Formats: sequence, structure tokens, C-alpha cells
Amino acid sequence: MLQVNNINVYYGKIHAVKDISFHVNEGEIVSLIGANGAGKSTTIHTISGLLHSKTGSISFLGEDITKAEAYKLVYKGLAHVPEGRRIFLNMTVMENLEMGAYSKGKVSSEDLDKIFQRFPRLKERRKQIAGTLSGGEQQMLAMGRALMSHPKLLMLDEPSMGLAPILVEQIFDIIQELNRTGTTILLVEQNAEMALKVADRAYVLESGSIVLSGAGKDLISSDSIRQAYLGG
Amino acid sequence: MMNFFTSLINNLISGLSVGSIYALIALGYTMVYGIAKMLNFAHGDIIMVGAFAVIVSVSSLGLPSIIAILIAVAVCVVLGVVIEAIAYRPLRNASPLAVLITAIGVSYLLQNLALLIFGSTQYSFPRLFQMEAIHFGQITISGQSIITLLVTTIIMIALHFFINQTKIGKAMRAVSEDKGAAELMGISVNRTISVTFAIGSGLAAIAGLFYGLTYGFIGPYTGSMPGIKAFVAAVFGGIGSIPGAMLGGILLGVIESFSKAYISTELSDAIVFGILILVLTIRPFGLLGKKTNEKV
Repeated sequence: MLQVNNINVYYGKIHAVKDISFHVNEGEIVSLIGANGAGKSTTIHTISGLLHSKTGSISFLGEDITKAEAYKLVYKGLAHVPEGRRIFLNMTVMENLEMGAYSKGKVSSEDLDKIFQRFPRLKERRKQIAGTLSGGEQQMLAMGRALMSHPKLLMLDEPSMGLAPILVEQIFDIIQELNRTGTTILLVEQNAEMALKVADRAYVLESGSIVLSGAGKDLISSDSIRQAYLGG
Repeated sequence: MMNFFTSLINNLISGLSVGSIYALIALGYTMVYGIAKMLNFAHGDIIMVGAFAVIVSVSSLGLPSIIAILIAVAVCVVLGVVIEAIAYRPLRNASPLAVLITAIGVSYLLQNLALLIFGSTQYSFPRLFQMEAIHFGQITISGQSIITLLVTTIIMIALHFFINQTKIGKAMRAVSEDKGAAELMGISVNRTISVTFAIGSGLAAIAGLFYGLTYGFIGPYTGSMPGIKAFVAAVFGGIGSIPGAMLGGILLGVIESFSKAYISTELSDAIVFGILILVLTIRPFGLLGKKTNEKV
């Protein structure tokens, strides 16, 4: 579904992503894990078109999207929930969801019902300004907003960041549930344990390069991973 | 006592009328600032272009008023969009200082082009409407003021509706908050910025029309003073805030009108700017501007 071949991304002179290649098959949950600054976010920013690679290629559903502009990719079925949620804080919950459906034209009440069913808190707070939501509610809004565009591939950047453990569990339950109902997931996480538990496959990034890859359950039991990311 | 009351009301109305012109211009400043995060110092000169478009259409081409107004709006909208695409878009990721200097350059370019085409003489602005003044006892409201207030009120209500209720309006607010996140929703930031320039420039054309009707004469530099005052009004109200620009513009007009009437005509600008400085020391973000609180 998604094929990333030898991409190199620079922030000015900093070589943030070094010759990375990986792929995501339809129906999978794939995790990119690694420490802060390993290049995970840069990688998915490059996939979603907010950054561009100097070399290599990215294809999505068989189409080359290496140089595509970010806003066009949403129409092709790619959604990206950015790190720090980046919901529109001065707009209402409802307006945020409407923006999520921007690529669909009008907001369908069916989609809205589905989102509210999945995230009942958002229904209660739909008229509230998004900036007044708690961190967990904001993450749910960010995910709900992305789902409004009916993505085929949903990319989530650090969905567990700053959330209480109980909320982290909840978010990961939702991710698995979304996957079961047909959404392919690319997950970027510092919370390696959770990310590996839910993942079919995972890639480990270290200073801009992929150093390890494999099935989630294999990586979680590998010694080097245990030492580096899971605290022994 | 009665006389003082009458003059107070008359000055208030003329202040509201001039202030609503400032507000129309300030809206362009504030919308562009809010969405493109730049100060478009050429905005004032669009007023001048709009006013000249009316003069040429009516005085030289003999077109009817309403057609002339539509032409002026169209010319300014196209000009605003073209300026953005040619001068500002290539600098989207450049330093704010480079953009500011470019905007000042565009301002001089427009003034000098007008100088080249029309010369330095002041042109008298055609009387487009004939409307009787209304008298309430001692209080007189000129036809001019009535039309200005009526039209600007309608425009502001329409704009408020557009920004808050329409899809494009909401997309504009989304872009103003977070360009990257807006792109991820499928919103084209470039197109949204073009729409913003189109609206701001269209409003400037209307402002140019009322400015011409109010002051009677137009020259190549006509736009600069109302442009600066409207910029002040936008900052006064809280730059980036649409209600702030409306409030700032109207307050500026009223303060100016009262200063001229009761304190000193010569000092009126100094008083207006003095009040601005005072307000900004107490409220650095302007009257309705807000500091964004981000939750991490």
C-alpha cells in the first residue's frame, strides 16, 4: 500500500533521515519506534508531503507521491494525525471535525454519528472550543478529525504522548479497533512497548536510519530492543 | 447644553462614518496578517487604485456608478491576488523582514505607477450618489454618512457570516491557526491565502470609494495615510482579530473626530496615536486580540 524507497531528508544542513526504505501492506499496523530525534516524525512528515525527500521515492496505492503537495494526498486516502495533535484550538469541536471532512465536501451525518459513537466525549463537547478540551480529548478529536476523511492509511504520530496510562490503553484499543474495521495504520511512537504490542511489523530508527525490523512480537522479545527501549 | 449635545451627536456620526472606512481597510490588514502572517503595507495603495478605477470608469468612460463600483472591486481583487502570487508567494518561507521590505516596495511601485499614469495632480472624485441629508431637529446626518454606515454595516455582517459559517471561511480560520495542520485536512494554503487577498482587496476598493466620496479628491499618495491609520486600527483592535479590526477602525474614527472637534485639528493624529500607545501598554495584544494558549 505504501512503499518508501531510499529517502533522504534534510532540515537545513541536518541530515535527519538517512536512506530509509520500508513498506506498509494493506490491513497492517506498522510501527516506527525509536528515541526522540531518531527521524520518525520527519519520515512521516515526508510521506504526508509536509517535507520532501532529496532522493528516492514514495508511492501510495501504486501512485508516485514523492513530490506531491500535502493537501492533495488527503484526497487520495492518506491521513496524518500530527505529533502534539495540532487540532484547531480556537475552533469548536464540531468545526474541527468539519475541517477533517474538508476533502469530502459536505459533512455526512453518518460519519459524524460513527465518530461520536467511537468518541462519546466529543459528542458531549461538540459545541465547545477545542482549546478547552483535556489532553486525552484533544487526541481523540485529532483522531476523529482525521477519520472524517475516510483514510485508507492512517498515520499517527505519538498518539500516546503526554497521556495518563489509562488513556494510553484506551487510545491503543481504538487504534486496534480501527485496524480491525479496515484502516491500515502507520504508527510512530516513543512508547515502544505499546507500539510493538499492537504492531504486525515494526521498524526501529536510530539517528535517521533503520537499524532493525521485524514482526512486532519478535522485536518485543529481542534482547537489544529490551535494553534500548523497554528498560531492560 | 443642547448645542453641545447636538455637536456631540454630529461628531459621533461623522466619526462613525470615517471610522467605518478605516474598519474596511483594517479588515484587509488583519485578515492577511491572521492568515498569511505578514503585514501587507501595499494594502493602503489598493484604496487609491480602487478610487482611480472609479474615476476612470465614471469620468473618462462615462459608465454608470454601479458598473464603475463593480469595475473598481474587480480591478482591486485581481490586483491583490496578482501581487500576492508574484511578490509574496515566492517569499512564503523567507524571513518576515524580507516580506515586509517587499510589501513596502510594492507600495512604492503602485504609487509610482499611479504617478506615471495620472501625474501628481489631485483628481476630483465623482459624486456617485445623490442622497438627501436627514434632519432630526438640530442633528443632521449627511446622505454620505448614511450610505457609508449602511454599506459597511452590511459588509461586516456578511463577512462575519462568511468567516464563521461557510466552508471557505472556516478553512481560512484553520489556516490562520496552523498552516501545516490545515494542509493535512486537504486545505490548499496557497488558495486560501489568495482568497484572503481577494477579499481584503475588494474591501479596500469599497473603502477607496467611500474615501473618495468623503474627501472629494484622489491622488497617487491618497492611500498611504488611511492605510497607516487602518493599520493602527487593526493593531488597536488586536491584529488578526476580525471583530478587533471593526472595533479598532470605528473607535479610531470616533476618537479622531472628537479630537478634531474639541481639542485640536492639528493634534488629532498625535492624540489618536497616543491613545494607541496607551492601549498597547495595558493590552499588548490590542483590545480584542488574544494571546493563544497552547495546550501541550
